[in-house]
Amino acid sequence: MSPIKIDHDCARAGALALVPLVCKVTEISEETPDVKAFRVSTLEGKRPFESQPGQTAMLSVIPSGECMFCISAQGDDYLEFTVKRVGYVTEQLHALSVGATVGLRGPYGNAFPYDELKGKDVLFVGGGIGLAPLRALLTYLLDHRADYGRIDLVYSGSTPDDLIFLHDIKNVWSQVPDVHTHVSIYRPCEGWEGEVCYTAPFLKDLKLPQENRAVVLCGGPSLFRTCKEMLLGLGFAAEDIITTLEMKMKCGIGKCGRCNVGSRYICLDGPVFTLSELADLPGSEH
Amino acid sequence: MLLKNDRLPELLQSLSAEQRVYVPSNTSNTSAGVSRFALYGTGVEPDFELVNTTMPPKDLLFPQTQKMYRYGFDTEGLPFINAQHDGDEVLLFGIRSCDARSIECMDDVFLTKGFVDEFYQTRREKLITVALGCSHVAETCFCDSMGLDANRAPSADVQLTAVSDGYEVHAQTEKGTTALEAWRPFLTETAAPEASPSVPNVQCTLKVDMTGIKEKLDLMFDHPLWDEISKKCITCGTCTYVCPTCHCFDISQENKMNAGERFRCWDSCMFSAYTEMAGNHNPRAEKMPRVRQRFMHKLCFFEDRYGKSLCVGCGRCVEKCPVALDITMLIDQIGALELGAAGQPGATESVTEGGSHVAH
Repeated sequence: MSPIKIDHDCARAGALALVPLVCKVTEISEETPDVKAFRVSTLEGKRPFESQPGQTAMLSVIPSGECMFCISAQGDDYLEFTVKRVGYVTEQLHALSVGATVGLRGPYGNAFPYDELKGKDVLFVGGGIGLAPLRALLTYLLDHRADYGRIDLVYSGSTPDDLIFLHDIKNVWSQVPDVHTHVSIYRPCEGWEGEVCYTAPFLKDLKLPQENRAVVLCGGPSLFRTCKEMLLGLGFAAEDIITTLEMKMKCGIGKCGRCNVGSRYICLDGPVFTLSELADLPGSEH
Repeated sequence: MLLKNDRLPELLQSLSAEQRVYVPSNTSNTSAGVSRFALYGTGVEPDFELVNTTMPPKDLLFPQTQKMYRYGFDTEGLPFINAQHDGDEVLLFGIRSCDARSIECMDDVFLTKGFVDEFYQTRREKLITVALGCSHVAETCFCDSMGLDANRAPSADVQLTAVSDGYEVHAQTEKGTTALEAWRPFLTETAAPEASPSVPNVQCTLKVDMTGIKEKLDLMFDHPLWDEISKKCITCGTCTYVCPTCHCFDISQENKMNAGERFRCWDSCMFSAYTEMAGNHNPRAEKMPRVRQRFMHKLCFFEDRYGKSLCVGCGRCVEKCPVALDITMLIDQIGALELGAAGQPGATESVTEGGSHVAH
């Protein structure tokens, strides 16, 4: 029998890797017509576990099923998940009320390299719900503001209804010194007074120098492709462009096989990768 | 130590009084023609000539469906999630070298790389494996090409080697030594334990040359060979179900009122829904990427991650594939390729669809 070696740094919530903790929803906020943020605590009102920015957790709507979500924020007594209603389980999740029982297991996966980013300028590029995983890192950087340089957030969505955390962007993040937020939508819309353009050209127009700057990118496939090409064209190095991947996941612990890409498991070895790491993954689509 | 043929039924009888003994059999109350490792007892006659059982023994460690936990509300209305553990001691009697190696692969998956799967571990710790050297091979067997020895399974707890009037018995692990205590009354001391067995070692007749295959596959992700070989696949998933090392699973649940059970069950990378995400994005929606994934995982990706091949040469998929999409023919085809720099076909090479080594 092969020796059992624990070489992953993930702590684990329950006594068993695949068995969730019983938790409850303590707060629900409606970000957009199809996005809600859920705060989850243990039944005793404690934070279920500690996580690092970029990590994920498996959230169960107990009779319906469980899904992997990024942890978009954590507080002293809660973890927060920002969930778009796109399928069966997320539909059930959106129907929950405060006080509802849910299951939770995690944290899973690696984290954004927040230590390596110290001393650097950081450019966040997000599209739609893709801001949810970036939020955990962005708020971490703001909580440790002195350790990091200039912070830019380039954020877009098809319509104003696709933009999440608008309150934070306008009233919180952009008020922090040397934090610059740039928001656009793709289609002109009545009442929208901001920029209307796609993310990649928007990025180019900002003319941010690439020296000592890392990029953290998360969005849909076309945003990812166009922004990746734009950034590489502008001279950013592949190892300075960081992203977080999405795949179907069932176990979250590198066993069930769904998120296998090449020799890697996105749930365990990811979800955070640099573009240069992705280049070594066969058919990672990016 | 020698286990004489005439003492074998008594041994099994005696062992099965103390533990669950699984033996290769095609007389269990399963569907006709499907042989498997079945619980020794009434109505189950062992057949130690079977090479190989239709179904591998993996379900003893990784059941086709396994309940993981129950959930609901207790009498005071408080929510609960209770893990369910099963697992009596199991003696797996008469597995072949290929299936013993497959357990090594499953151990790598379920017990290493950061997380231990306790449902697997519970069963694994209670499993004792008794390997049986092959006295003959099937025409689909190719384990020796995959670096195995049909006559010996080094990771098994106990190894049986056929001799003229029975089996030589060797404990190979501490677990095996302990297990053999109960065997003692049925064993005969042999005068010369090192005497060479009177039954000759068998060799597989189906051969593949694995030299350089992994290195070629490293370069072949975008090779047109995958389009060619995947054409005839009907994505039935039979290969993954009969494979002793395929370990992918789904997690689902069954509810009654507001209580229920969450379970896991075998799944297959051959199915399109396997990777389909909410919002309809699917990285392996087409057949070709799924066929490629299965073969690359067996022969390339697993080796990168765990240092061994995920194909053990048992030949079950070769035998059961309804369209003769034969992994040994694929290996031959890869071996014959002359690859250009980026893994693209060389100038002189043409890709042809392979047949099968084995009549179907």
